[in-house]
Amino acid sequence: MNRRIVIFGGTVALYVAVMAVTWIVGTDQAERKTEAMLDYAVSDMRITLDGVIDTMLEHLASMAVRHFKKPDAYSVEDVSALAAAYDIDEINVVDRAGRIIATNDPDCLGVDMNVKSATRSFAELTNGVTRVVSQPFRRHAYGTSRRKYLGVPFPNGDGYVQIGLDESRIDKMISLQLAFLFDAEVKDTTCYLCANEKTGALVSSQLERDMPQTLKEIGFDANMVPKSDKPLSDGGGVETDKTFALTLSGRRAFCRSFVVGGHRFIMVEPEDEFYGTRNMIAATMALLLFLVLGGFALFLDRIFRDADRLRAFYRAEDEARAKDMEIAKTIQTSALPVPLGYNPCFRMSASMAPARDVGGDFYDFFMLDQTHLAFMVADVSGKGVTAALYMMTAKTLLKDAILAVRDPAAAFARVNAELCRNNTANMFLTAWGGVLNLETGQVTFANAGHNPPLKVEGRAAEGRKSGFVTDKSGPVLAFADGIEYKSHTLSLNPGDTLFLYTDGVTEALDGKNELFGEERLLNAIDAVVEPNPKAFCNVVRMAVAAFAEGVPQADDLTVLAVEYVSRPQRFVNSFIPTQGGIAAASAFLDECFGRLEGVKTSCLPVLHVILDEICSNIVKHSGASFFEMGVELLAESGGVKLTFADDGVPYDPLSHEDPDTSLPADKRPIGGLGIMMVRKMADSMSYARTRDRNFLTVVKQ
Amino acid sequence: MNIDKKLDNGCLTLKVEGRLDTNTSPELEAELNFDGVTETVFDFSGLEYISSAGLRVLMAAHKAMAACGGKMSVASPNAIVKGVFDITGMNNVFNIVEG
Repeated sequence: MNRRIVIFGGTVALYVAVMAVTWIVGTDQAERKTEAMLDYAVSDMRITLDGVIDTMLEHLASMAVRHFKKPDAYSVEDVSALAAAYDIDEINVVDRAGRIIATNDPDCLGVDMNVKSATRSFAELTNGVTRVVSQPFRRHAYGTSRRKYLGVPFPNGDGYVQIGLDESRIDKMISLQLAFLFDAEVKDTTCYLCANEKTGALVSSQLERDMPQTLKEIGFDANMVPKSDKPLSDGGGVETDKTFALTLSGRRAFCRSFVVGGHRFIMVEPEDEFYGTRNMIAATMALLLFLVLGGFALFLDRIFRDADRLRAFYRAEDEARAKDMEIAKTIQTSALPVPLGYNPCFRMSASMAPARDVGGDFYDFFMLDQTHLAFMVADVSGKGVTAALYMMTAKTLLKDAILAVRDPAAAFARVNAELCRNNTANMFLTAWGGVLNLETGQVTFANAGHNPPLKVEGRAAEGRKSGFVTDKSGPVLAFADGIEYKSHTLSLNPGDTLFLYTDGVTEALDGKNELFGEERLLNAIDAVVEPNPKAFCNVVRMAVAAFAEGVPQADDLTVLAVEYVSRPQRFVNSFIPTQGGIAAASAFLDECFGRLEGVKTSCLPVLHVILDEICSNIVKHSGASFFEMGVELLAESGGVKLTFADDGVPYDPLSHEDPDTSLPADKRPIGGLGIMMVRKMADSMSYARTRDRNFLTVVKQ
Repeated sequence: MNIDKKLDNGCLTLKVEGRLDTNTSPELEAELNFDGVTETVFDFSGLEYISSAGLRVLMAAHKAMAACGGKMSVASPNAIVKGVFDITGMNNVFNIVEG
């Protein structure tokens, strides 16, 4: 919105500025032309006027020459009579020497024309060549009026006649002689007006009666004429006004005027003549600019609008992508296993930190059965979405395979074949997978091109032994079909830890492009004060983070630590409540005794009796759909705790009264004997009923 | 469980080896045939333990013997089995012959 204001506001401002310049330049141009035209008109008029007056004066002077015939000392009366007859103000007869020898003005008699600079030019008339000498109007030496002098020579250069005519004397002449030169009203082009200064009567109207008769009629008022601030030129003979604007005959026009001989001459330049050009240029410019700038503004607006749309589009795309990635991340995270329930035999910690939203690393762990823990770490080539997609497939395949064949090497071979079948993307992955037998501490493992894990021996705060498991690795998965992987084993004692990781740890770079490396990993592991899987994982992650401070994480980083804590102390199994179920439970008890280290074998028969009594009670009376039996070693005494759970009718064997065993055999009831035996043979018993189940615990030390 | 049965001059000797519980006692019960038997001896020298299901068989045999005026005895029970007899008061009922 703001940008639109800028675009259109800017365009309008530019438009106004260009138009203003055009107008100002156009006006200036028009003014100059008008001034030039008026200058020309004024000088034209003055030349014309001078010519006309000169002609007239020459005519009068020639007439005086003819009258006097030759220079001689004519009387003042004679000369005055001639002057009066022809309305001539001054007549001087000058001899060859330039001396006035006859005049109608006695003051001039005897004046030497050749002395004064103003009159010296008339001497030329005595050279026999010059026909006439004329001077412009100038202020008369002895009076206030302006007077014009002209001389014509006698034949043979024998002196000359000079006549002088006051300005006021020529008005009538002008009216008659110049009428045809003037206009009666203002026209389209430069025109000339002339009127009697006193009456305002237009000179030209003498010729055309139906035209305006006075200046007033065409709109001129002498009071509106500004006076020139230029000093009057002494030789100019006419007074020139400044240019002024008037509306004459309904036309706006620029004018200059001057007054000569009782007449006002007005040079008129109609505004249209030059300002019309300016107006036309301005109008054309306005239209063109409007189209060009308007188009440009619309174009800019369109471009910016399109840019906005594009930006919004990309922003939406980015948001959608971020949302997708968020979902992908959630999906991937949820694909990683949740921590297993508490198991006294091992402790475990793992984490995966993708370099991007999603990664190609993964770890997995799951129980194959009660005594076998499978765990693995893998790294798909590349990172980001492609790797993440491939990771999901690989992870599923690996888990399925290990669950099916229980041996990492065989599982790797199977997964490799599956991945090779359709590997058009040329992806591959490295993996390290192991299965820990909780009863023996033995780890069966296979390595498909993955970093060697660390084995940490013991839980001592210091001086633990740690080293890499460097058994020969097989090739990476999904690389070549038909590969068999070698199965290796290693042994863990209670307290030993296996630390698995991906190359995001060892190949983390610091600011100097140095690798974190295996040695730093080893040092970090050895520096852990209170060793446990979580501490190992945290310390390594922090060590890598501190090492790569300021450098963006380049690769996914995964760590997994599993500590073998102890052999299993307790086994649990479910049975169906039938005779066969009792036999199975009995066999299970024997089996548990084989697996529980340090158990007192002497209590086995008693436990069998107890088992037999309790189980047959459940089978016969409870109506349960299943029963479960747990066998747990009591580490201190070597005794055993048996736990029974069933979903049958509530039955508390402890509330049962013992049968009378002193009765003769034939009088005794058969029932109740078994429970009594259990109570007597066990060292302690407890019963609870929760969640619609009977829980019975029997301890035999 | 393994049962070794011998009938000698009206004396039925059953050598029971292994475990006598709900699973095995029906087998022992099936072996009992008191026709012409005046004395029954359960040789428990090879018996690991006995549960109440086994006791039921012994009591049935005891009753059958008593009905025909015969005798029944349990020979050489181990400590576990004797303990069961003690707990259930059968030590007072059966004639127990130490091995």
